[in-house]
Amino acid sequence: MSYENRDIPEGINVSKIHPIKEFAWLAGGLIILVILAVLVLSVLAEKFASYIPFALEQKVALPIASRFQDDHPLSTDQAYIKDYLQSLAAVLAENQGLPEGMEVSVHYVDDSTVNALATLGGHIVIFKGILQIMPHENALSMVMAHEIAHIKHRDPIVSLGRGLTVYLALLSLVGLSDHGALEQMFSQTGLLTMLSFSREQESAADREAMLTLQRHYGHVEGAAALFEHIEKEEKEDKTPSFFQSHPHPRHRIETIRRYSQSLGDSADKQLTRIPERIQQLIKT
Amino acid sequence: MANIISFLVLLILGYVFGQWAERRHFKFIQHRERLLKNILCFNVKTLPSYDTAPDVELVVGNVVISIDYFKRIAAGLNNIFGGRVSSYESLVERARREAILRMKLNAKERGASMIFNVKLETASIYKGNGQQVGSVEVYAYGTALIDNH
Repeated sequence: MSYENRDIPEGINVSKIHPIKEFAWLAGGLIILVILAVLVLSVLAEKFASYIPFALEQKVALPIASRFQDDHPLSTDQAYIKDYLQSLAAVLAENQGLPEGMEVSVHYVDDSTVNALATLGGHIVIFKGILQIMPHENALSMVMAHEIAHIKHRDPIVSLGRGLTVYLALLSLVGLSDHGALEQMFSQTGLLTMLSFSREQESAADREAMLTLQRHYGHVEGAAALFEHIEKEEKEDKTPSFFQSHPHPRHRIETIRRYSQSLGDSADKQLTRIPERIQQLIKT
Repeated sequence: MANIISFLVLLILGYVFGQWAERRHFKFIQHRERLLKNILCFNVKTLPSYDTAPDVELVVGNVVISIDYFKRIAAGLNNIFGGRVSSYESLVERARREAILRMKLNAKERGASMIFNVKLETASIYKGNGQQVGSVEVYAYGTALIDNH
């Protein structure tokens, strides 16, 4: 009996596809799938976040709000400004027709930052910097009504819902068992300013604010004053950070002007001054 | 960001060195397969019949080959989409042939020219957190028939 080992052809056990080509296909497919999943999740989160009861939102925001108040203690004069802002907000909220159970609390920060923001739980933060550039109460009311409109439209919770959902989705994908990251995210007061609203949300808030001003003053004269100021500043390239996520001031001015024209000029377009005492207090 | 950069660097290093090592290894395997061609391997259990009882001895060869980073990630992608895990195919192929070669060398040292009842055992070494396979061991063994005629 004779024995032999015949030659085995080379490479019959290995797929002939180039490793980089296969890798590119699979990785590309995976990335597309992940992007699609994140998009779907964020759209769903946006849709459902507004069904979260406002009371729950307030509960979530409570520790952040109280820590914020501890971090920014107010002097008697500053408390006076805050009370003025709060009463203005109350009137505007009534004119805007906030739903039952929804309330707005205004916070004042003695800082030259030109900023105003709305966040979870109906909290609105107004900085001294933005008060200082207000020529009259109508302009201030426009900003205030804009922030109240964000709260009415549930924009903060929608934004947070979207952000958290995407964050969690990516976290679970990466497979990090780092639960600390989420806690850290919740505990940060940075959360207050982290919320970003879309252009559509901003435009909707602008429209709502104009209606509110119309109801409160009977006209929208002076509503564009702040944006005109911003536009002037912008030409000198000093855009405050707050306005970067918002529609361009030019568009906002035009929208207000168009709305103002559509109302006709039958009403007495008197501008309301900011109270003397407040003007004195914010001067420095 | 640092994570992404280190991931990409590892991926590129894994690919460059992994491919280089694999190509070199295959060449080395082919070269020695030609050299050891005269030692024959069979998986039949029965030995040829001789007038006198032949000398037989157990011969073994084993090898452990590690997977490179690129292949591990590529195999991870295969785990999601299914299909042939081509990055493991070449790894296991190399390990099998290397183990047989080492067994043949073992037989040659004993003056054998034929190995019967050749069998292969495969084991994966290191199952980490995600149960991922780090390296593969192949163990080849058989009954060498020693020429004493």
